[in-house]
Amino acid sequence: MEAIKNAVNFSDFPRIDRLVAGAVFCFLAAYPIFPHSAFAMATMIQFFIFSLYGMGWNTIGGYGGQVDLGEAQYVGIGAYTTMVCLLRWDIPFWISMPIGACLAVGWSFVIGYPLFKLKGHYFAIASIATSLVLKDLFEVWKFVGASRGLGILPYKYQTPDFLRLIFKEDVYYYYTIFGFFIAGLLFMNWFRKSRLGFQLRSIKDNEDMARSLGINVHWAKIKTYAIATAFVSVVGSFHAVYVKNIEPEDTMSLDLSILIALMAMLGGAGSFWGPIIGAGVLIPLKSYLKEWLGAAAGLVGIDLIIYGVIIMLISAFEPRGIWGIVQRTRRRKI
Amino acid sequence: MDILVGSLVAGILLGLVLALVALGLTIIFGVMDIVNFAHGEFLMIGMYTGLLTAQATGMDPLFTLPVAAVIGFLLGVLCYNGFVKFLLRGPMIAQLLGTFGLMLALRNLALLFFGSEDRSLQHGLLVGQSFDIGMGIIVSATKLAVAVLAVVSFIGVWLLMNRTKIGKALTATALNRQGARYMGIPTERMNALAWGIGGGTVTVAGALIVNFWSVNPYVGLTFTMIAFTVVALGGFGSVPGAFFAGLVVGLIMEIPGFWDFFAITFNLAWMSNVPMTSFKYTWIYVSYFVIMLISPRGLFGWKQ
Amino acid sequence: MKNPKKSWRRLSVAILIAALVLPDALFAADEIKIGVLFPLTGGAASAGRELRAGAELAADIANSVMPDLNMTMAKNAGIKSLGGAKITLIFKDHEGNPTLGADLAKKLILDDKVDGLMGAYHSSVTKAVSAVAEQYGIPLINDSSTSPELTRQGYKWFWRSTPHDDYFTKDLFELLKGMTEGKVKGVSAVPKKDIANLASACEKTEWGSAVSELIDNFSKAYGFEVKKSILYANKATDLSSEVRSLMAVKPDAMLFASYGSDAILMLKTLKDQKAAPKILWGQNAGFEVPEFVNSLGDTTIGVLTRTVFIPKVGQVKPIAAKVNAMYKVKTGNDLSGASARSFTGLQAWVHVLEKAGSLKPADIQKAANSIEIPGDELVVPWQGIKFATTGDDIGQNTLGSGLIGQYQKGADGKIDLEIIYPLNLATANMIYPFPKF
Repeated sequence: MEAIKNAVNFSDFPRIDRLVAGAVFCFLAAYPIFPHSAFAMATMIQFFIFSLYGMGWNTIGGYGGQVDLGEAQYVGIGAYTTMVCLLRWDIPFWISMPIGACLAVGWSFVIGYPLFKLKGHYFAIASIATSLVLKDLFEVWKFVGASRGLGILPYKYQTPDFLRLIFKEDVYYYYTIFGFFIAGLLFMNWFRKSRLGFQLRSIKDNEDMARSLGINVHWAKIKTYAIATAFVSVVGSFHAVYVKNIEPEDTMSLDLSILIALMAMLGGAGSFWGPIIGAGVLIPLKSYLKEWLGAAAGLVGIDLIIYGVIIMLISAFEPRGIWGIVQRTRRRKI
Repeated sequence: MDILVGSLVAGILLGLVLALVALGLTIIFGVMDIVNFAHGEFLMIGMYTGLLTAQATGMDPLFTLPVAAVIGFLLGVLCYNGFVKFLLRGPMIAQLLGTFGLMLALRNLALLFFGSEDRSLQHGLLVGQSFDIGMGIIVSATKLAVAVLAVVSFIGVWLLMNRTKIGKALTATALNRQGARYMGIPTERMNALAWGIGGGTVTVAGALIVNFWSVNPYVGLTFTMIAFTVVALGGFGSVPGAFFAGLVVGLIMEIPGFWDFFAITFNLAWMSNVPMTSFKYTWIYVSYFVIMLISPRGLFGWKQ
Repeated sequence: MKNPKKSWRRLSVAILIAALVLPDALFAADEIKIGVLFPLTGGAASAGRELRAGAELAADIANSVMPDLNMTMAKNAGIKSLGGAKITLIFKDHEGNPTLGADLAKKLILDDKVDGLMGAYHSSVTKAVSAVAEQYGIPLINDSSTSPELTRQGYKWFWRSTPHDDYFTKDLFELLKGMTEGKVKGVSAVPKKDIANLASACEKTEWGSAVSELIDNFSKAYGFEVKKSILYANKATDLSSEVRSLMAVKPDAMLFASYGSDAILMLKTLKDQKAAPKILWGQNAGFEVPEFVNSLGDTTIGVLTRTVFIPKVGQVKPIAAKVNAMYKVKTGNDLSGASARSFTGLQAWVHVLEKAGSLKPADIQKAANSIEIPGDELVVPWQGIKFATTGDDIGQNTLGSGLIGQYQKGADGKIDLEIIYPLNLATANMIYPFPKF
């Protein structure tokens, strides 16, 4: 009961925050009703996907202070579990998705235990290493299609298929991921007020002090990592049924891991709204920059140069991300 | 037998070059505790520099090294003064984020200017030449020359760090920043110098590597990971550590060759069927992980 | 006087409605949009450029009247049965990435509202794109992807004009068999044990993996042994471990399936390590792009490659020579397997649209399933184009065929492909064994 109350109680946010969030929420809920191009709809769905990735990452990377650059392997675990379950045994999404999350959590314990003995840069690089190893394994594993990947043949199913989450129109996917988005928000709201959330904050502040207070630092980090991986794996499962074609190079790449971490950091790691703001700014930016300035204009790569420069500027002048800038301006106003 | 020796030779030659690649990273880390995720991109720029200078001036690629060194040095100093300096004030997360941004920006600038296609050297004194050192083992002349030059560069940097006044100042800053400042060493300048030397060495390594590997804007990241492994093994901050660790990592990359040797000598079909070449880089990542867990200091490291 | 404001308002509403409703009706007959997905950047960009040029040339011919070109599509400006409507090609670059390809296909269908699709060269991308086309019921003609899997998915909106790798790989083994029987021009019978050991290195996406499997299967059927088969990443910048692994088993023949930059890298590495196979063969793609000969020069002499078109075909097919000349003016290169097939793919589109006489997907589908284009219309040396409607390979052109060419130095010092297979069409003696590096 307490947990649910915590999850829905947003009253510790300033009023203006709640108003803005509420307005954006209403816009998002009603978006598909307005005329839109398929491109815009796809971008919005990408926004939700990456917000969720970012929220998951934020638990260990933001609140936990350990920059994890290997989340893509969990996207892969979630995506492949759902895909394989569907193709081999016709298991619906709502069952394969939790299975994927369990496998992800299991794997996270296996590598989390040794991984969290490291800190800082070493941890970051090690997380990259583990993700790449898993990707390499998937690339030769025939059971998951090796490097050829797996694909769903859409005509085999009667759409709309709510059990297996196979739809013809993007609108269904939009509202499904929107539902996940809401669930994610509520979960994060609970998380930051939970015991684990407080433990992480004190660990981030001063690890030795936290240890002296009796907090099992190692275990707290592992638990948080498990939460992050479960988040990411759930969205990975969604990705599989949405995109309907997965392969290791595409679904578990290092670029994806970096993107996930980057968006959350840019928006503001360790803050509640950070990952959402990060995704909200960077996904449309990336999509539309590519569309306008990409190969069409003969200027391949300009979109990512601008991307990189924005990241450089924020890291140099406000490492707490866009949310950090917002908070700083607020303090000045007072 | 020839497979075994062939792989050994290839591994050692490659390892010497990898040592040079990692050298810059370890110097920068030693002096200011920052891990440069854009390191591989510097290498990539070095590769393009070597390639384009050779193609533009028609001179042999091996002679383009001084050009690469200068450009790398300037680029390193520019990155430090123009950007990295500001990162040092922030938390570690900012440094990671920042050098990532730098990586993205450099990579895509290269994409914009050079295009996405692979490029490689077609002509050169030694390009495409190889010789037989007996037992049917072929050694590529370019790889040999490159390895020799890598060793020369290594010795050069080592001498710089340990025998020259400026090098000693750099080493002092790395060992004890505060102390160095009290001794009157301008630590800000030392930082910039570290980036300059770091940038210069890796660019030279790039100009050497392009003699036998092709280049496209995306090669940076793999090299960054390899460099990290070498530095972790050798010990963050240690110059001799980078040398020996480079050799070890070079040999790790030849695991497919050793595997083949065992498969053929003992005629084991199951071994032959394992796609070892697909795991070329996997072993490097595994090594990194294992090294960090067993001995975070690496072989010769004095920094945690 | 009537209220002027009200009149204006009524008028503007009328105009607005007209503007929304009429344009579709008015402009429909004037333009046919075909979305074309090719790898215009990335490792196969050199092929992408050729593909694009081939398709554009075909569209140019279709949209204008060229009386001295003996092709049906050159006789009319635009599609006659659609009132002279002209074909507009909308090119999208998928960079070799299947997810991006699928995304772009969706955009082409939903936002650009194309009437049909063509593409995509990379079999992995075509797989993803065909799933999208199937889902939305938009016809897709595949001009250049050869993984057999693509026509075995039972899709109803997918047609493939190019023959696939099952045909092509069989050609290779027929050639090897022919060598043992002394039927190859310029080569006396080779004892089977001399060329029994094979080794293959294929890039690991859909296309290469399929080729690797086919080589394994056919070698068993024809009595050869694959001692080693490697799958590698086509984006790799170093292939020395792979080549060393191949050489370790001392194969008589080395077989490859590589895209652009990796084909060049592979040859260079082979040369570096002084590999000495008796036969070196590539399954087209990278072995056929202009850059292959341009950057490797004499190193390519003796290399065999599957291909679908060689400029020498122009000697027996005047129509091919004419189109080749036009293509050369446009790009400076001769037609290659890639450009010839994208040309032919668009040509197939033109014939299908002529037969359909409408832009409704169902009509286009019917036309595609019943069309038969005779071989004299085509620049490629096929019997024609007819898409199968029954059996295993639905949508596959059953009248296509492949060639095996070998790079040889001509009397003029230029390196060109000579036809080695089919055996009765050989234009030169086969160089055997492969000259030492």
